[in-house]
Amino acid sequence: MNSSKLTFKEFYELFKDPMELEICCGHEILDKRIKNLEVQRPGVSLAGWVEDFPTNRFLIFGQLELGYLNSLDRETILKRVDIVITKKTPAILISKNYNIPDYLIDVCIRKNVVLFRSKMRTMELFSKLFFSLKDLSKPVTTVHGTLMDVYGLGVLIQGDSSVGKSEAALGLLERKHRLISDDVVKIEKKGDTSLIGTGPDLTRHFMEIRGIGLIDVAALFGAVCIRHDISIDLVVQLELWDEDKFYDRIGFDRHFKKYLGIDVPYYLLPVKSGRDVTLLIETISLNHRLKVMGYDSAKEFSEKLLDAMNNKSVKNNENNKKIKSKK
Amino acid sequence: MKIIKKLKVKNSLGLHVRPAAVIVKILQNVDSKVEFTYQNETVNAKSIMSILMLAAKKNSRILVTAEGKDAKEVVAKLAIAFDEQFGET
Repeated sequence: MNSSKLTFKEFYELFKDPMELEICCGHEILDKRIKNLEVQRPGVSLAGWVEDFPTNRFLIFGQLELGYLNSLDRETILKRVDIVITKKTPAILISKNYNIPDYLIDVCIRKNVVLFRSKMRTMELFSKLFFSLKDLSKPVTTVHGTLMDVYGLGVLIQGDSSVGKSEAALGLLERKHRLISDDVVKIEKKGDTSLIGTGPDLTRHFMEIRGIGLIDVAALFGAVCIRHDISIDLVVQLELWDEDKFYDRIGFDRHFKKYLGIDVPYYLLPVKSGRDVTLLIETISLNHRLKVMGYDSAKEFSEKLLDAMNNKSVKNNENNKKIKSKK
Repeated sequence: MKIIKKLKVKNSLGLHVRPAAVIVKILQNVDSKVEFTYQNETVNAKSIMSILMLAAKKNSRILVTAEGKDAKEVVAKLAIAFDEQFGET
């Protein structure tokens, strides 16, 4: 079940234009939070089959539902509507600007349910609402870091404050890579496998560089150097060089960092003066691309080495045999 | 040590660029991890851009979470800065 922190008022503000909504009933409970973001057409449940009927979803009444109800006698209508609309029902939407029957208004007032009416056609409204609500219930998180598009890969640069994330980003910008967001990155889950990173609207494409202040990247480097969002392909963690720590010298093992339950390839990059972080990030990115394409430099080298050693031992054996036979 | 405290933005312009700079200055050499939460958004308080992103206006309440050895002093310092309206009116 999807949970949300959205109120009906916020819901209305968000969708009143795209879904051509008006509030018909329930003005006084608009501050209530919407507990479940799912949608349903009551359909067959109105005919009396209510087994497994979910009671906590948005209900859309279209021509089908209203037409069927109108064909029944008043008593049956009231009975059926009373079963389908419960106190847990968040809201009811009437499509295509149909006239609202009085019994629906009665039930909504009695059970504290918000009643909307839309000008859209029923199936359009249904699919729009379905996908919009799904979008709203997407898991989202905000992380500290800088997100860049390096050779088409989304690289999230993380590290403590003042380790040089923004400076690395500047270097990358200078080499015509693109900035998505500096300092604050919003990550949302897309499907079960990918993460989309973007920046907050307000600070998008602005950077803060110590000693310079706030800079507008789009104005400085041009529109070619910015991007709205990108899927996050790898994470580079910058940290100050620790002499006592052993850093990866081979690149055999793959490491991952989890965001919203999805593993993202992770590289720890030690920083000290003299190391060109920009170039290193470019290299990590290219090497990662090679790996994705099926070529793992470290693995290939290791196989080459093993091959060479095998050949050498075969040759040695042959040489030994020759020497022995000569004797 | 973890300290959580709600602080109110009292200066008339809200958390704009200058107050953000004041906050970042206070937190510059602080060991603790400090976060601000406002309207379901939690951000690193040591970063100017993060603070600006919150766009918190006058009278908004910011939930400050500090975790680390000097958490108590840090929150106290922040509380004073918020109270003194970051040297503004």
